[in-house]
Amino acid sequence: EAEPVSESFAIPSAPKRVDCPEDDEFLSALDKMVSENIQERMREPVKAGNIDISVPVVLKSNVKKSYEQLQDTEENDNNKIGFVLMVRKGNKQQYKAFEADKDSELAQNLRDQELAQKEE
Amino acid sequence: EEEDEEFYNSKELPDYACKYCGIHEPNCVVMCNCCKKWFCNGRGNTSGSHIINHLVRAKHKEVTLHRDGPLGETILECYSCGVRNVFVLGFIPAKADSVVVLLCRQPCAAQNSLKDMNWDQEQWKPLIADRCFLTWLVKIPSEQEQLRARQISAQQINKLEELWKDNVDATFQDLEKPGVDEEPQQVLLRYEDGYQYQNIFGPLVKLEADYDKRLKESQTQENIEVRWDVGLNKKTIAYFTLAKTDGDMKLMHGDELRLRYVGEMHKPWAGVGHVIKVPDNYGEDIGIELKNNNGVPTDCNSNFVVDFIWKSTSFDRMQLALRKFAVDDTSVSAYIYHRLLGHDVEDVLFRCHLPKHFSAPNLPDLNRSQVYAVKHALQRPLSLIQGPPGTGKTVTSATIVYQLVKQNGGPVLVCAPSNTAVDQLTEKIHKTNLKVVRLCAKSREAIDSPVSFLALHNQIRKMEGNTEQQKLQQLKDETGELSSVDEKRYRMLKKLAEKELLEAADVICCTCVGAGDPRLTRLKFHSILIDESMQATEPECMVPVVLGVKQLILVGDHCQLGPVVMCKKAARAGLSQSLFERLVVLGIRPFRLEVQYRMHPELSRFPSNFFYEGSLQNGVCADERKLNKIDFPWPITERPMFFHVTQGQEEIAGSGTSYLNRTEASNVEKIATRFLKTGVKPEQIGVITPYEGQRAYLVQYMQYQGSLHSKLYQEIEIASVDAFQGREKDIIIMSCVRSNEHQGIGFLNDPRRLNVALTRAKYGIIIVGNPKVLSKQPLWNHLLSFYKEQKVLVEGPLTNLKESLIQFAKPKKLLN
Ligand SMILES: [Zn+2]
Ligand SMILES: [Zn+2]
Ligand SMILES: [Zn+2]
Repeated sequence: EAEPVSESFAIPSAPKRVDCPEDDEFLSALDKMVSENIQERMREPVKAGNIDISVPVVLKSNVKKSYEQLQDTEENDNNKIGFVLMVRKGNKQQYKAFEADKDSELAQNLRDQELAQKEE
Repeated sequence: EEEDEEFYNSKELPDYACKYCGIHEPNCVVMCNCCKKWFCNGRGNTSGSHIINHLVRAKHKEVTLHRDGPLGETILECYSCGVRNVFVLGFIPAKADSVVVLLCRQPCAAQNSLKDMNWDQEQWKPLIADRCFLTWLVKIPSEQEQLRARQISAQQINKLEELWKDNVDATFQDLEKPGVDEEPQQVLLRYEDGYQYQNIFGPLVKLEADYDKRLKESQTQENIEVRWDVGLNKKTIAYFTLAKTDGDMKLMHGDELRLRYVGEMHKPWAGVGHVIKVPDNYGEDIGIELKNNNGVPTDCNSNFVVDFIWKSTSFDRMQLALRKFAVDDTSVSAYIYHRLLGHDVEDVLFRCHLPKHFSAPNLPDLNRSQVYAVKHALQRPLSLIQGPPGTGKTVTSATIVYQLVKQNGGPVLVCAPSNTAVDQLTEKIHKTNLKVVRLCAKSREAIDSPVSFLALHNQIRKMEGNTEQQKLQQLKDETGELSSVDEKRYRMLKKLAEKELLEAADVICCTCVGAGDPRLTRLKFHSILIDESMQATEPECMVPVVLGVKQLILVGDHCQLGPVVMCKKAARAGLSQSLFERLVVLGIRPFRLEVQYRMHPELSRFPSNFFYEGSLQNGVCADERKLNKIDFPWPITERPMFFHVTQGQEEIAGSGTSYLNRTEASNVEKIATRFLKTGVKPEQIGVITPYEGQRAYLVQYMQYQGSLHSKLYQEIEIASVDAFQGREKDIIIMSCVRSNEHQGIGFLNDPRRLNVALTRAKYGIIIVGNPKVLSKQPLWNHLLSFYKEQKVLVEGPLTNLKESLIQFAKPKKLLN
């Protein structure tokens, strides 16, 4: 069957950023929005909840723990690391599994932590 | 059945598509809780992702992830305090555990109590990084997906957000909506994206549809006399004549008309039928086959009214194709997408095994330029093949199709704008022994053609092992109707059989608009060839193209007639430019077939020099194009051509708009009679005339004034240039009609139309007209000078033709 040799090379690779006043406005509006919102939180006497956010034991044993272990498993995509996001529905905890790229900050962080622990 | 079509075609963007760019990958989109609109996490050509752009500009702060995204349906909120403001939210990973929670920066993540636990407070990171959401929350659409989406600019985003403040349901389209009286936007050479393409062509298709609708619906005619008949299929046929409507309105086979009885001899009745006969040489009457035999007042003959029924199907299909091209990234390959939009894309070649022999079974061997054309087309994802008149375009196309099937398997989709062109190509492809299915519109199933036996509805009747279906069919044919249970069963069986045949086909042939048939929507076509593509408007061409094309071959000739667009506004805005033509202007070089096998070498000289830079070579010699034993007074024996100077007055025809010229008609009759007397058969002769008034007059004049039996004249085809495109005749007689000194020469001054008119004849051509008027037009001035140089500009009776010494006018720019 005929296969395109280099079709994908022939096509431009990604949209490029177009410099314009509207985009610049957006950049400063975003910065402003983040700092204003955080400052607002600091001014307001928001009480931190007294919610227990410890990782339950059940989850601990279920979740593949170490970076190395995670890396070894074959079921995983080679470039992905499994994680669990813990969320709360009312008083109930829920766990949502997701994958992060191995070179993501999240995965890197996990590895650094383990290395640090081993050194201890 | 029409509902069927709507159902299959309801392909719209899902409601979770990014309101800016249309990306609708569930992984990549987020919903703004405040306005319930969805946005993607790609930045397109701006510096923040679309969702962030929206939140910042609209000052909205809360979002929900998509049900089918990486985390499932999730509202982003602080695990501890429940705040949902994404601008203060972040996450913390558990120490040495692969567990993560979302916490707000203030106060929850800053809380002292965290320190004692498993959570590493130092590691708090915001959910928005680099002006996008973190990718483990929402994926970023791939670069290719972003390129394929609408290229919305920061300015447009700004405007759209402004619009939403007044109207929450505003869409991108509203940004560029022209006012009611404004001219539509002109077509472009290059388009940013499929959305812009749709935004420009959509309104033009709408304009044309509205025009067509108004035209058809204004055509009601009263006091119609009807003659009844019954067809072989037991259906009632009504024959009647309509007053000449000339102008633009042209009745075609398969059109729908409604007949109503308004007299007092019978209770009111109305019935709809398909046109099965149009006015022609054999008579001006029109025949319609009624859909339903019930209650037809066949005992009445007068007091009928005829309405034209406008159908939106073809326009709907074009609009749908435009939308699909914009929103559905499987509609065409990425390469074709960017190419059609005119983006800078390099030429690529397919790595494929080229066959040793390029010819196809039972088709003539190819010449050098035809072989190259086949090779050219097989190796490329997009190719343009230019076939000047008589260069074997159909054989070349059929061979390409044959080789495509041999190379990639089927099905290959083969289209052309007109049914005639589809039939011609279908016939050739069938010769190569490929399995061919010709798909016809349901309204045309009753119309006979040389390839009727390949039509899907006929192949089904002959399918083996299909006895139940055949029995029901027989019953239906005999009784005209089935019980509702049987009808249901019949339809179901028919659908299955259709599917089976279509799936087994190597090649499926239909018109461009026919490619929008619901029976094809489930199929994907890797390779598509469109013949006579210069005669289709772009949206019409897109109907087949969006069926998944990866390899597209457009065959045509931008030096011949373009598409017919009736609405002047739409034509002015560029709807009358074909895709083929635009691609040529974009710099895609068409591969030209160079050897013509139709015309006597003397006949091809002017067209070759004037329209094809002299590149047309002759594959036939003068001897092969000699009318043997025909004694005709050609002024120069070895040049079977002349211009017959005729200075008759033109008149406005009965209908008021179309012209006729009695002197020219009489000269045409004399020439035709002379040919017939010397033994030329009537079907060898074609008469071309630009005006409907002249056509009708010529038909009458020849039959009643001609010195031979009227039947002979009946078989001479008399039609417009457009009706002869793609066809040939041994002898062409052309009546130019327009000779009024004070006006332009109407649509004879389109060089492409002149090219087509001059290149239909194989053996001889005679032009009848008034050089004084015609020579004012630069194009005709060239032609007349050429005839004069060749000593074939003549005047006088046929028995005594003499070189004319008439002086030409100076050519000047004429307003049409
Ligand atoms: Zn919003
Ligand atoms: Zn987007
Ligand atoms: Zn909080």
